[in-house]
Amino acid sequence: MRHMRNTFLALSILFCSLIVANPVDTGHAKASLITNLQTADQESFYVGIRLQMQEGWHTYWENPGDSGSPFEAIWKTNTSTIVENVQWPTPVTIPYPPLMTYGYEGDIIFPFKVFRSMDEDLSKISVDVDFLICADICIPEQASLTLDLTSINPDPLLDIAIKNLPTKFIQTHSTLNGDQLQVTFKSSKPLSTAYLFPRENDLFVYIPKHDFIQLNENTYQISLPILKSNFESFSGVLSLDGEGFQFKEKIQSIANISLWQAILFALIGGLILNLMPCVFPIISLKVLSFVYMGGDDHRKIKNHALTFVGGVMSTFLAIATALVIIRASGSMIGWGYQLQSPVVVGILTLIMLGIGLVLLTNINIGSGLTTLGSNVQTQNNYSGSFFTGVLAVVVASPCTAPFMGAAVGYALLQPSFATLPIFLSLGLGFAGPYLILALKPEWISALPKPGAWMETLKQFFAFPMIATALWLMWVFMVQTSGDTLIELLILGLILGASIWMIATFKGHWKWSGMLITLIAAFQIFNTLPVSSNNLLENSSADSWNLEIESKLQTENQAYLINFTAAWCITCQTNEKTAFSRTRVQEYLISQDIKYIKADWTNRNEDIAIGLARYERTGIPLYIFWKPGMNSSKILPAVITEDLLIRSMQ
Amino acid sequence: MKLVLNLLILTLITPMIFGAQIVLQNPKVNELAPTFSSMDSNGSVVKLSDFVGTPVILEWTNHDCPYVARHYEENNMQTAQKIAHDKGFIWLSVISSTPGEQGHVSPEKANELSLTRNAYPTHVLLDESGDIGMMYGAKTTPHMYIIDAQGILRYKGAIDDIGSGMKFFKTSFADATNYINTQLDDVIQGNSLKVVSTVAYGCSVKYNYD
Repeated sequence: MRHMRNTFLALSILFCSLIVANPVDTGHAKASLITNLQTADQESFYVGIRLQMQEGWHTYWENPGDSGSPFEAIWKTNTSTIVENVQWPTPVTIPYPPLMTYGYEGDIIFPFKVFRSMDEDLSKISVDVDFLICADICIPEQASLTLDLTSINPDPLLDIAIKNLPTKFIQTHSTLNGDQLQVTFKSSKPLSTAYLFPRENDLFVYIPKHDFIQLNENTYQISLPILKSNFESFSGVLSLDGEGFQFKEKIQSIANISLWQAILFALIGGLILNLMPCVFPIISLKVLSFVYMGGDDHRKIKNHALTFVGGVMSTFLAIATALVIIRASGSMIGWGYQLQSPVVVGILTLIMLGIGLVLLTNINIGSGLTTLGSNVQTQNNYSGSFFTGVLAVVVASPCTAPFMGAAVGYALLQPSFATLPIFLSLGLGFAGPYLILALKPEWISALPKPGAWMETLKQFFAFPMIATALWLMWVFMVQTSGDTLIELLILGLILGASIWMIATFKGHWKWSGMLITLIAAFQIFNTLPVSSNNLLENSSADSWNLEIESKLQTENQAYLINFTAAWCITCQTNEKTAFSRTRVQEYLISQDIKYIKADWTNRNEDIAIGLARYERTGIPLYIFWKPGMNSSKILPAVITEDLLIRSMQ
Repeated sequence: MKLVLNLLILTLITPMIFGAQIVLQNPKVNELAPTFSSMDSNGSVVKLSDFVGTPVILEWTNHDCPYVARHYEENNMQTAQKIAHDKGFIWLSVISSTPGEQGHVSPEKANELSLTRNAYPTHVLLDESGDIGMMYGAKTTPHMYIIDAQGILRYKGAIDDIGSGMKFFKTSFADATNYINTQLDDVIQGNSLKVVSTVAYGCSVKYNYD
């Protein structure tokens, strides 16, 4: 009797294991089906295919690398049950030098999400798994697995596996540098290793280790050798100290201008800078001083012009060098970045105001920054010509012409050897007219003869300078506060008084006013932060963050992004003539377009990264996207009401 | 004694140094194919330059690899070899498996494999060092290359389009697009090929990775 019962038990176990074949020995692995189903009435739950591979054997990720193949699962369920695609766990590198494969070793669980309709009874779930299992050699193995869902038997291992899935997204930004793709990302945790597993299987050379550097406190960069350079997007899993993060990136128009084009644009952009309202007076006065000299000595004109060019070129060289050094230290910077500091804006305001007053008062200040065309009497003052060059560049920097921005943007994203020639070309364009004058000093004779008109013109030029000062004051106010602006205005008053003193009195003590100005300026600027945190207020705009574009695109929400700053004069013009117009605002509301402002008035590394995604380092930049578009589009940098609405249609 | 010790250290270190240097090359399509010379299964030296004026097909192989095995068991590879042979191509089967690894065979075994499987390779090259494999960037078995009569590499990659995922073992060769058979005429006539480069699939080439 007892013997019979044992036989029955053995038979029933055998019988059960035939129906619910779980686990199955496939040869080099034990395959089983597990679930986290907790209650009988759960509509959605997970099942997992668990492979317990023998030591030294592995199977593959969705991109297997140089060889191999991902597994395949064919589910057998009733028609009202949906089994989603596998959610791949974070893979590991499995090197077989010189080959590299991506996959899993040891004990691995592949989770699948299941949705079932409660109308139909789902008593079991079955799957046919085909997988390639490899050590030195590869063997295709398979298992037919069935899981009984009538008895609730949740496996905690599946929940651990789900928890460890790479589900979090990480924002990356990639640029192509020769045959390497450089991928920049942020991590709040300090990292010691990083490996990028690309999902596409024909873009990269698979190597055992990716060059990995820390750019600054929380920004890192890894480099991958590429197989081809003409791809537009890629995705995959970034494994940071073994923790996986999803990423997906569109690569925007990789290097759409060549180095030579950038140098040419820089040259033209430099030339155009001469016409900017804040630059034009200074250089016009320089020309006037040449006119004054014009009558007698061509050699002197030549020397002065060359010294001026020298001042311009060395300033551009200094800026380029500073940018390269700052960039090497890992900071994201952009053109116009110097105006993000209220101290710099304050000093520039005073310089502009001072120049304006000097032009009106008809005084000669011996040398230094304020030496302008007015002191033509001291004809041997070459340092004056040199510093006029320096000053011209300093005041020119905020007046970025739109297509000069492209060249400078390109320059800042290039290796140092390309940055310097572009900046030098910019300087050469800027100094171009004087260079020609230096070569052909006799051309100055073509200008009208010196006379009283020069004095009148000089005084007139005071007004664009004071207008520039006014604009800078507004920037300063946005950056700081109304109270601080009053302090700056008081400084302006003291400066005015001291210039008047210099003009009116004689003897050394006439300089005491200037001394007071300097001391007061030092006092006030010393209390200012290097950069402040105030933002431009705009009630109708949402604020910007790095992830917002991918977020809105997944939500199918149309958007318009405005990268702007108080110190960007083109941006301000566009605000007034296009963005703040009622018609535009109404259009945005009626078409359900989200309006987002990215304010770069103050230093913001995220915005710099955001701009770099569009290969820009300067603003304005306007981005528009609506459902149905493959990728967002860049709107013109100089835009009108009509153009703006038309480009969104 | 000291000399023996030094030699021992040297023999241990040398493969380590060279081990660090093994890098797969990535020859470009429509450029001159890398030249090589190798011992074949009949003991004669075969050079790529021997075949100037004749188009050449390279097939990386490992008879124990399940992917290769299926191509031979179902007569798919032999058919490709026969078609290529009839069109005047030289077919070189290359074995880059290092001694002791899967697929590595003696010359006699290589000839026996050709005989028993009714294969038509012009030569079977025994690339024990893996030099030719790495020169061509051969990653998998099978991995195919077509070189035209002028010695220009015209195609590199998979033999057909059914290799991605486990579907290879379920898809009939009749449903596959064979990238070799279908492009031979274009190679002969000097036309540009429709497909010049694909991702090869199969087992990894068993290089000396220890």
